[in-house]
Amino acid sequence: MLHIVDDEEVIRDSLVWLAQSRNIPAVAHASAEDFLSACEQLQFDPGGDCVLLDIRMPQQSGGALFDVMAERKLTDRLPVIFLTGHGDVPMAVDSLKRGAFDFFEKPFNDNKLMDRVEEALASSRKAGESAAVQVRLTNLSAREREVLQLILAGKMNKVIADQLGISMRTVEVHRAHIFDKMNVKTAVELAGLLK
Amino acid sequence: MLVLLSLAILTGLPWQAQRMEASDKQAQLIADTLWVEQTIRFQLDRNEETVGLIAADIMRGQLSPKQFIERTRPLAGNSREISRLMWMDPSGNAVAASDGINISLLQLPPSTQQAAAQAAKTHLPRYSQPESPDNTDGALQIDYWLPMFADDHYIGLLGITYQVASLLDDMVPWWFAQDNQMDLLDDDDSVVAQREAGGPGRGVYTHRRVLDLPGLNLILRTNSVKAAPKLMPNLLVGTVIVLSLGLAWTLWALSRDVNRRLAVEGALREQVEFRTAMENSLVTGMRARDLEGRLTYVNPAFCAMVGLSAEQLLGRLPPMPYWAAEALGEYQKRLAEISAGTMTPQGFETTFQRADGTRFPVLIFEAELRDETGAHTGWMGSILDISERRQAEELSYLQREKLQSSARLASMGEIASTLAHELNQPLAAISSYATGALNLLNDSATTNSPRDALLKPVLEKAAAQAQRAGQIIRSVHAFVKQREPARLPLPIRTVIDTVQPLITLQAQPSFVKVTIVIAPDLPPVLADRVLIEQVILNLTRNAIESMQQVPPARRQLRIDIAAGMTVAHHSAVTVTITDQGHGIPDDIAERLYSPFFSTKAEGMGMGLNICRTVIEFHGGTLTHSVNPTGGAIFRFALPAIDLTASTLTSEATSEAGMINPRVTGTHSTT
Repeated sequence: MLHIVDDEEVIRDSLVWLAQSRNIPAVAHASAEDFLSACEQLQFDPGGDCVLLDIRMPQQSGGALFDVMAERKLTDRLPVIFLTGHGDVPMAVDSLKRGAFDFFEKPFNDNKLMDRVEEALASSRKAGESAAVQVRLTNLSAREREVLQLILAGKMNKVIADQLGISMRTVEVHRAHIFDKMNVKTAVELAGLLK
Repeated sequence: MLVLLSLAILTGLPWQAQRMEASDKQAQLIADTLWVEQTIRFQLDRNEETVGLIAADIMRGQLSPKQFIERTRPLAGNSREISRLMWMDPSGNAVAASDGINISLLQLPPSTQQAAAQAAKTHLPRYSQPESPDNTDGALQIDYWLPMFADDHYIGLLGITYQVASLLDDMVPWWFAQDNQMDLLDDDDSVVAQREAGGPGRGVYTHRRVLDLPGLNLILRTNSVKAAPKLMPNLLVGTVIVLSLGLAWTLWALSRDVNRRLAVEGALREQVEFRTAMENSLVTGMRARDLEGRLTYVNPAFCAMVGLSAEQLLGRLPPMPYWAAEALGEYQKRLAEISAGTMTPQGFETTFQRADGTRFPVLIFEAELRDETGAHTGWMGSILDISERRQAEELSYLQREKLQSSARLASMGEIASTLAHELNQPLAAISSYATGALNLLNDSATTNSPRDALLKPVLEKAAAQAQRAGQIIRSVHAFVKQREPARLPLPIRTVIDTVQPLITLQAQPSFVKVTIVIAPDLPPVLADRVLIEQVILNLTRNAIESMQQVPPARRQLRIDIAAGMTVAHHSAVTVTITDQGHGIPDDIAERLYSPFFSTKAEGMGMGLNICRTVIEFHGGTLTHSVNPTGGAIFRFALPAIDLTASTLTSEATSEAGMINPRVTGTHSTT
């Protein structure tokens, strides 16, 4: 989901239109305050999230909003791309140093901006996935985690059974539980997930 | 010394005079006494002579007792001292007496008898001791006995009886008796006769004179009734003393006068010294001219001003050596004005020439010179060299010009920037709409309707034109903004020092009191000096204008410079400008920074917008709030340079260059 934060309505509308033309779901927020209140019940999009942030806004500026987001450690799941006018460059540079994804100076090339938005979405997705994997890993039992390590080391079920001193049958049950909990079908897929 | 001498004279002189007078009087008395004695003696001698003549007649036998009486009676009558004359025969019986009463010798007092016997015995006349005969009332008498002989044969005695008292009473003139008490004393100093017509003697001037008579020693004692001379008895001494006192007073008055004169002279000298020092210390040139325009006085400042010595200037008549050739007409006109008395007391500006030919502007004030009688004698002029003032004025004017031009440049840049921003929004929207539409068309390429084929190039053109417009704006912006603000480390104090006189200049016409408080030990800030000056001037101008309608006592502008934080929590220097003006209404506050928004009739509405842009360019923020005591507070923060991190300045510059190549490009040219 692309979050567009800009005080100018025509900009919001045109950017939403542009994003949709690239099949990127987008939602517009008229101010930093609106966006922050939306963040309260925000569901992360599995397809990734991104924030297009206008630096200069009447009340809370883009820079200030970014500071709040950085404080709440949201910038991994919500990468921020700044939109700047002339003269806002130093502030944008400063934000970049503190972890903004990118900044575009107006007037910008729209499709290049959308390309960068897609990259941000991918980055967000990845951050979201790795976060999900971490959550799934916490669901594994201690024995299952031992078995997982051996599977990732490429050991056959028999070798695992011997090494752990359990039956083949038990290993297979563990393996099935692990695949189930980690939401994978094959060992290769599992390895890819935990790479 | 003089005083002691005067005193000595003053005391000595009367004393001397007294002494002299006393000795004079004494000498006088002695002389008088002698004279009296002589008088008495002379009278007695005459009487003796008379008696001698009578005796001679008797001795020749030519005088009968009857004739004797006839001859002696008038004698006794005329000479009052003679009480009687008598003729005794050798046995002592009276032959005849002037008063006709014959008293024998034996009836006379013993001393007389003794003296008569003595006279007869010695053949020499003799006086008897004073004694009072029985028949008198105790009045003392003396007798003169002249023995008579005829052929050495004693034939008797002639006697004169004197009243002792009448010796003094009748023989001494009255005028003498008036002044002196006179006594006749016998050998035992007992008084035998006394006359004190002028009262008793004072015992001051006395003299004794022996009245030596045969057989009798009487002492004539005179005692003046005059008292001892007083210390200042006479006019002379009095006059001398008065004169001396007058002299002393004159001396005193003279010394007082001299002292006063010395004091006045001292004061005058001091005054002259004071005036000379004053004249020498003056930076104002002074010159005096008489009615003909001749220089009669110049002070050192004037000499230094025109580069000529006083000797070269004094006595000169116009044209003066310090007159600039091109201004001659002006001088003459002025001189005529001054002579006519129509000059202005405010002074006038003109140009003078130094000895080396350089010109300098002067301000001249002229005043009439009058002598002690009030007669007009000339003109005194004070001349101020105002070249420094002129220079300062020109400098200030240039400074203002420079600031204004840079302000204009900055404003143009900011207008362009703002225009770019404002136009970029709709252009960006157009571009986005077109791109989005194209994206959709491309996405649905499979359908490829003929209408899509028509639409696609048009949308592409629209997007391209929007992009082009954006580029044009950008290039114009870049062109106008030739001078990219250059941020350099600088102490905020230098900025304040520059703007302070201008703020004062702004504030003066509105009688706004300006207070500037700068916290000590502030770190330097990274800023474009001219831009920050403009921001401060803009904010102070707004503040001053906002206070024009409030009571003068409330017209206070305060500028506080203190350490603070930026939004990004960097250390910063905050500048707070507080006024007590009409404040900012809420509806205006919303649009305060909007471009082309102004509450002023002639305002362009760029001031605060530019200010905010400038401050944000510096990485700071410009905020405003309501002053609790009325009015508004504007505050901005500028990032400060952390002096502990010495590399920060170069870092900041290189960062800016790395990320924004355009900035770097202009940087290298500035």
